[in-house]
Amino acid sequence: MSKVKLGITLYSYTKEYVSGEYTFEDCVRRCAELGIDGYEVVATQMIPSYPYISDDFIGLVNECSVKYGARPISYGANTDRGMRYDRDLTDDELVSTTIRDIRSANKLGCKIMRAQYLLSPENLIRIEPYAREHNVKVGIEIHNPETPSTPAVQTYINAIEKTGSPYIGLIPDFGCFANKPNVDSYDGALKRGANQELLDYAVSLKYDEVPMDVAVQLLKEKNADDEVMASFFTMYGFLQFSKNPDLEGLKRIMPYCIHFHGKFHYMKEDGNEMSIPYDQILPIIDEAGFDGYIVSEFEGHESGKAPEMVKKHIAMERRILGIER
Amino acid sequence: MGLVMKLRFTDIIQEKTLKNYYVNGKVCGFQLDVRLGYYRGHYLSVIDELDITVDGEAFAQADIIFCLNGKEFGVPELKHQFSEFWTILAPATILVRKAGGLTAGEHEIDFKLMLHSPYMPLPGAAVPHAYTPIDSCEKKTVVLEECYE
Repeated sequence: MSKVKLGITLYSYTKEYVSGEYTFEDCVRRCAELGIDGYEVVATQMIPSYPYISDDFIGLVNECSVKYGARPISYGANTDRGMRYDRDLTDDELVSTTIRDIRSANKLGCKIMRAQYLLSPENLIRIEPYAREHNVKVGIEIHNPETPSTPAVQTYINAIEKTGSPYIGLIPDFGCFANKPNVDSYDGALKRGANQELLDYAVSLKYDEVPMDVAVQLLKEKNADDEVMASFFTMYGFLQFSKNPDLEGLKRIMPYCIHFHGKFHYMKEDGNEMSIPYDQILPIIDEAGFDGYIVSEFEGHESGKAPEMVKKHIAMERRILGIER
Repeated sequence: MGLVMKLRFTDIIQEKTLKNYYVNGKVCGFQLDVRLGYYRGHYLSVIDELDITVDGEAFAQADIIFCLNGKEFGVPELKHQFSEFWTILAPATILVRKAGGLTAGEHEIDFKLMLHSPYMPLPGAAVPHAYTPIDSCEKKTVVLEECYE
C-alpha cells in the first residue's frame, strides 16, 4: 500500500483566483471535491496579510478545514532576493525573511515549506534550527533548468548531509523531468506570430543539447524573430526538456526529498500528461517508500481548464500509484 | 529582446473607476484603480517604472500619487517600499494632478507599469542584480461617467 499522499497546490487555480471567479474558499472546495485533504498555498499569492498571517486568515483556513476537510500542508515561499532596487538581499536578510516564512508556515499548521534556490546551501544550514524548532521541514525546489544531477543540487545535498537533519531537504518539481517541449509555450509563441520553422529549429537545438550560446548564435544567423527567441530562452530556462530525463538522479536523491511538485501543463485524452513521464516518475517515488505529499501543480492557466485538468491529473496519479479515492 | 513576463488574468485598469477628484471643492485631477498583472503579489520596491498618459497628454512624475493599503506614495518613493506589499487581488488607486480634471466621456488611458520578478534572475544577464521584467502595462479606452462641475 502506497504511503504517497496526493495534494493540490492552490496555485493551480491561479487564473480563477486572480480573475475573481474563485475565492480562496472556492479553491479549497475544488480540492475537497476531488477527495484531497491537503493543499499547498503560495504565500505571496493567496495570503491577504502577507508576509504575516492574520487571525482573519487563520479563521478562514480553519473554517474551510471544518467545512471541507482540507488543510494547508505546505507553505510555498518565494525567495525574493531581488526585492530591492539597488542590490540583492544579503544572506542575513534572506535568512530573516526565511525565518519569518517558517513562522508563518507553522501558524498555518504546515509541516512543509518550499523555498527557492536563491536561498543558498549555507543559508539552508543556517535556518535548520528554526525549521526544527517549528517542526516545519524546509525544502529547496528543484526547478528547471536544474535536475537532481546538476552541480547546484549536489551543493544542497552536501549541506543537508552536513547537518544530518531531516528538517531540510529537496522538493523536486516534475517539470525538470519533461521529455517534450512545453505545449503552452510552443502554441503561445505560434499564436503571437513566431515563425514555426525557426521555432521547430529552436526545439531541435534543445533536443540535441546544443550549448545555449552556440544555439543563440545559430538562431541569430537565421534572423529568428523575438517570439522564437523568447520561447527559446524558456526552453533553455525554466521550461527545459530532454530526450533522457534525469530519472536515475531522482532515485539517488529520494532520501532527501520531503515533498514533490507534480507540475503539469496538459492532460491528454489517454489520461497521461503531455510532456512529463508520470508513469516513470511516480513508481520511483513510491518504491522508495516516500511518506509525504505530491501536490498537483497545473501551469496551463491560460486554457482556463484548471478544474478539469487537475481532476484528470489526480486520477492519473491514483491510477499509477494504485491509490483508491 | 530578452524575456519579459506578461500574465493577464485580470484587467490592469479597473472598469468604472475613472473619476475626477476634488480638493477644497475644486476638481484638481483624476483617479483610477489599477491591479497587478501577474500571478502573485509584490513589494512595491520591485516597481521599476510607473507612468500614465491620457489622450496623449503626459504628466510629471511628481503629479502622480500611488495609493495602497491606506497609504500614499510618490512615484520616486515606491522603490524604497521594501515592506509594503501589494497583493494580487488589491486595486491600487492612481491619483493624477490635472487642473480641471478630465471631461465626461471616453478617454484613452496608456498606463505603464514595469516591475521585476525578485526571485527570477534574468537568464543570460550580463550584469548582477538583473531580474526578469514583468510587463503590467495596459492601454485602454475608459469612460468617465459624469462630471459634477
